[in-house]
This record gives sequence, C-alpha cells and structure tokens, in this order.
Amino acid sequence: MGELANIFIKSAFIENLALSYFLGMCSYLAVSKTVKTAVGLGLAVIFVLAITMPINWVINTWLLGENGIFGTDLTFLRFILFIAVIASMVQLVEMVVEKYSPSLYNSLGIFLPLITVNCAILGGSLFMVSKEYNFAEAVSFGLGGGFGWFLAIVAIAAIREKIKYSAVPPALRGLGMAFLLTGLMGMAFMGLMGIDPAAY
Amino acid sequence: MRSTSSVLLFVLTLTSIVALILAFLQNGLKSKHDFNEAMYSKKATIAAVANHLDVEDFSKISEAEVTEIFDKQIKQMVLKSDGTVATPEELQDAGVRGGLAENLDLKKENKKSVEERYLPLYEFTKSDGNKYYIVYARGKGLWDEIWGNIALESDVNTIAGVSFDHKAETPGLGAEIKDNKAWVRQFIGKKLYDNDGTFRAIDVKKGGAKDPYHEVDAISGATITGDGITDMLLEDLVAYEPYLKTIKG
Amino acid sequence: MADTAVVEKNQGIQFGKKERKLLTDPLNDNNPITVQVLGICSALAVTTGMKNATVMAVAVVFVCLFANVITSALRKAIPKQVRMIVQLVIIATLVTVVELVLKAYAFESYKQLSVFIGLIITNCIVMGRLEAFAMANKPYESALDGLGNGIGYGIILLMVAAIREFFGKGEFYGYKIIGPSPEYAINTLESSLFGWYQGNNLMVLFPSAMFVIAVLIWAHRAWNPKLVDVS
Repeated sequence: MGELANIFIKSAFIENLALSYFLGMCSYLAVSKTVKTAVGLGLAVIFVLAITMPINWVINTWLLGENGIFGTDLTFLRFILFIAVIASMVQLVEMVVEKYSPSLYNSLGIFLPLITVNCAILGGSLFMVSKEYNFAEAVSFGLGGGFGWFLAIVAIAAIREKIKYSAVPPALRGLGMAFLLTGLMGMAFMGLMGIDPAAY
Repeated sequence: MRSTSSVLLFVLTLTSIVALILAFLQNGLKSKHDFNEAMYSKKATIAAVANHLDVEDFSKISEAEVTEIFDKQIKQMVLKSDGTVATPEELQDAGVRGGLAENLDLKKENKKSVEERYLPLYEFTKSDGNKYYIVYARGKGLWDEIWGNIALESDVNTIAGVSFDHKAETPGLGAEIKDNKAWVRQFIGKKLYDNDGTFRAIDVKKGGAKDPYHEVDAISGATITGDGITDMLLEDLVAYEPYLKTIKG
Repeated sequence: MADTAVVEKNQGIQFGKKERKLLTDPLNDNNPITVQVLGICSALAVTTGMKNATVMAVAVVFVCLFANVITSALRKAIPKQVRMIVQLVIIATLVTVVELVLKAYAFESYKQLSVFIGLIITNCIVMGRLEAFAMANKPYESALDGLGNGIGYGIILLMVAAIREFFGKGEFYGYKIIGPSPEYAINTLESSLFGWYQGNNLMVLFPSAMFVIAVLIWAHRAWNPKLVDVS
C-alpha cells in the first residue's frame, strides 16, 4: 500500500506530466484562459487517464507481450492499440456521461474529444510500459498523473486570469506569456526533482 | 449515417490491412533491429577501453571495426559470484544464447541477489599484449536505471576507463554521466582497493573530490545520479571479487 | 522559389498561387507552433540538439504528408461515426513505420527519442490537419497542406534546437564550436582569449525550450503585428 501511495505522490508532484515532462501542452495552453474551463478539462484528464491506464496495461501484458495469449512479441502494434483504446474510451465516456448526467456532460463534455489527442494520456501509457509497472502500480500512476496534470492546468489558468490586468508588451500578450509562465513553473518543479516520498 | 455492419466491415478491413503491413515490416527489419541492439551494447562495452584501441577516434568507430575487435581482442566469459566460470551447460539451462556474456539479460540478472547472479566479464588484450578486464554494474539513477562498464588494468585494481549509460536521466544534468566525456575521464587511474586491500570502490563526491584514488567530482545538479553511481559500483563490483582474486594470484 | 504557375506533365496537377499558399501559409501566418500552438510537447523534449530535432522534423513531415494523403484518398469511404478512430489508426500506423525504420537505420536517434516517437501520434498538428483539411480536400492539395505544415513545424523545431544546442553545449549539429577544452574550435580555457565565456547549462534543460519558444513567438508577432493577441 505504501508503495502505491508513493507512486501516486511521485507521479502527481515530482514527475508531473505537465510540468516535468511537458506533455499535453496543446490543450494545456489552449484551454487555460479561465480557471473554470481548466477545472473541467483537468477533471476529464484524470478520468480518462484512470480508465485507459489499466486497460492499456492489460492489453500490453496479455495481448502484446511474449507471455501473452498469442505467445509472440507483438509490441509493434502497441501504438495502434493504445490510441484505439484511448479514442474509444473517450467516446464511450462521452456517451455514458451524456446519457446519465447531463449536467456533468455540459461542464465536461466539450473537452472530452480534445483529450484523445492530449499527449499526456498516450504519454502516460507509454511511460507505464517503459517503467514496467504492475497492474496496481499502473492504476496508481494513472490517478496520480491525472491529478498532477489537473493541478498544473488549474495553477496556470489562475495565473493567466490575473496577468490579464498587467501591462505585458503587446507582442508577448497571451500565448507568449503563457509559454514564459510554464517555463518558470517547470523550473520551480525541477526543485522537487529527486525527492523520494518513501523517505518521509 | 451508414449501417453498423458496413462500419464494422470498414474498420475490420482497415485494421487487417494495417496489421499486415506492419507485420511484414517488423519481420523484414527484425534481424536488423537485433543486430543494432547487440552492436549498441558491444560498443558500450569497448567504450570502457576506448583509449587502448587501435582506432583513432572512438566516436567514429565503424560497425565492422567493433565486430573485429570483439572477434580478435575480446575473450568473453560468464562468471558466478563464487568466482568460478559458468559452464556452457549451466548457461544453456539459464537460457543464455550461445553461452556468451553478450547475450546475458543483464536487467534480469540485476534483479537477482548478488549470490545468484551471472556476471559478464570481458577480457581485452591490447595490441601490445597488455590485458584489461571489463566488468559491469547496474543501479538506480534519479528517474530510472543507470548502468556502466568498468575496465580494470591487469592489476585488477586500477581503473583504465569507464562508460556509463542511462534510461531516462535529465538531459544536461544526470545524462552527463554519458555525454560529458571530461567527467567520465576522471575515473581513469582511480583504484578500487586502498593500500590495506579493503574494497573502497569510487565515491562520486559532491563538493569536490579530495581522495586522489577513490573519489571523483560530482556533476552539479545531478547529486542523485552521482550517488546512484557510487552505490552501484560499491554493491555490484564486489560480486567480481572472488574471480578477480584468482587473476591477481 | 517556384514561378507563379509551374504546370507539370500530368494535367490537373498544378502548382499555382493557391497551391503555393497552401505550402507557404503554415511557414509564417499560420505556423503550427507559434500561431496555432499545436505539437508543443515534442518541440520541447527533442530540441536539446540539432540531430534529434532533424530526425523528429523529418518524421513529422513524413507522417503529416502521408496521413493527409491517405485520409484524403479515403475521405469518402470513412464512416462518420468512427472518423476519429480511423484517422488515429492511420497516424499510428505511419508512426509505427517511422519507429521500425528508425530502429533499423538510425538506432542512436531511436534510443534518444524513445517515447517521443510514439507521441507523434498525439502531435495535434497531424490530427488537426486531417480534421480541418484532408477530410474535405483532394489528395494533391492535402499533400501540399501536409508538407507545408510539417515543414512549418520542422523549421521552428530546428530553430529552437540550434539556439539550445549552441548556447547550452557550445555545439552545432554535434560539431564542437565553443567550450572549455582543446577539442572545441574556440577554446574557452582560462588562459585563452575567450576565457570569459561560459556555456549556459539552463539551455539544455526542459524549461528553457519554453523560454526560447516564448521569445520566438514574441519576435514573430512583433514582426508580423496582425498575429498579436488582442483579447
């Protein structure tokens, strides 16, 4: 249990998908103009990461691996299957949410299609493979990674809301400033690098 | 909107075409992939004795040259931690192809306890007849695994050269253990044992090396990767001790 | 630069003003990175050196070009309900081809790019062009559009990489230019003329890519004021 909590904290704060690996930057920069939309997208990312990570783990281990049901190394199909799982899960989640919780759909729904091409999701799955996590660890990594991404996008959205009132040079307004801010936040996050939560 | 069956048919056709194309490509390139993989680790192995090869610029070494060095100047063997050389039968049972050290699954070996490990050892004979012994260590860096080949002179104490590699260290910080040649050069001439014969290995020291034989400077900003190297040298090289003692006589 | 209308042998394939606009628009007014803000992730991770950036740029041009052509050729056959998945499967296939080929013929780059090759799949440029252009246009135009966007992306990638490699490591495409050892063309050991020079290690780290792109955007918008964000 302690090991799983460790992975959760590590993937949320120390190996943050957005601020340490800079994954999912397209939607991170595009949808972080207000805190409200950022919260919506962040929640959707947590949701999708937590669902797709275990499924992709099962696919990778049981279908594609040498010890899987086909008995040969099929890892060259990994990209296709991973992205297909992600795309279909996103569509499934969209349909389910629309049917059973229209209010949640109204706040989350418009972000769901965006998530398919959010590299944090595919990147998460690929990192899971390269780190050789087991099933429980993969679940914990998915939840932690999603939570970390959520925190990062909400944080930058809050800063961007405030910075609207500052006198930024015209050519740097908006996008340019968002890049600078993310860079600074990334540097701050580098300070957390190497902390081992298990030691505390 | 089209009927579900035609959609399904389209998706199925597309998937099978795609899978077929990729399977063909994968099959066609498989041998090349395996060759590259093997070449990569061979190159890393002899990088530890880069200064003692008959090639002018190691960074431009060709694949043919690497193969030739491996054929002519390298004798490889697999050791057990009690100091004996593993027999071909034992290696066959363990699933090591051809019983060669280069085919050991070093990642898997590293997960075993030190007593149960099979250890790769490469004996390199320089063109002037001097012998060098290349040993292997593997440990944990900041993000993921780090590993290295360490070449010892024939006194099996003095380091003749090292080459480190890593899976995912930060470029510019931890990744310098591979990229920064000046840092790697510090290891040359260091010693594993102190004058009393105690095993000390090499300490990657934050704040500057003081001991001329057992310490090297750390890379600033990469404390944990450096500590990882200190630990892996201390823990993994001990396993070679029984065999190295037999060389020393 | 090609003349305004180069008519090739095959009638119907023309390279006129409209076609040229398809190709050059993404290089400036509609640049994928600095204007559309697509495909940032890989721009950050692989730009520590020119070599990796070149491999990445070529890979993206390849994927972008062929994904556009294939999708455009199939655009009438692709069922609307599964549009996204079909597009992603096409992209993922091309990316797998890139990975397998790199692993066979450019192993060093394959090792260094690692997971970031796979992330071309979610490079929003590719997906974005399929959705916005290839689904509605003929293969030839889509090819130009794909090529233009791939190159527009590649140029920024190479610019960022050149800046980071030179100021970070004192190298350009692996050639040692300025640094503290006799191997470099300009030696900055204490005794020499350039002893005051210090490489900036920050440039090698991830966040510096953010700063470099921010400055590029700043310069681009100062030079091309119609792109300035008015909101």
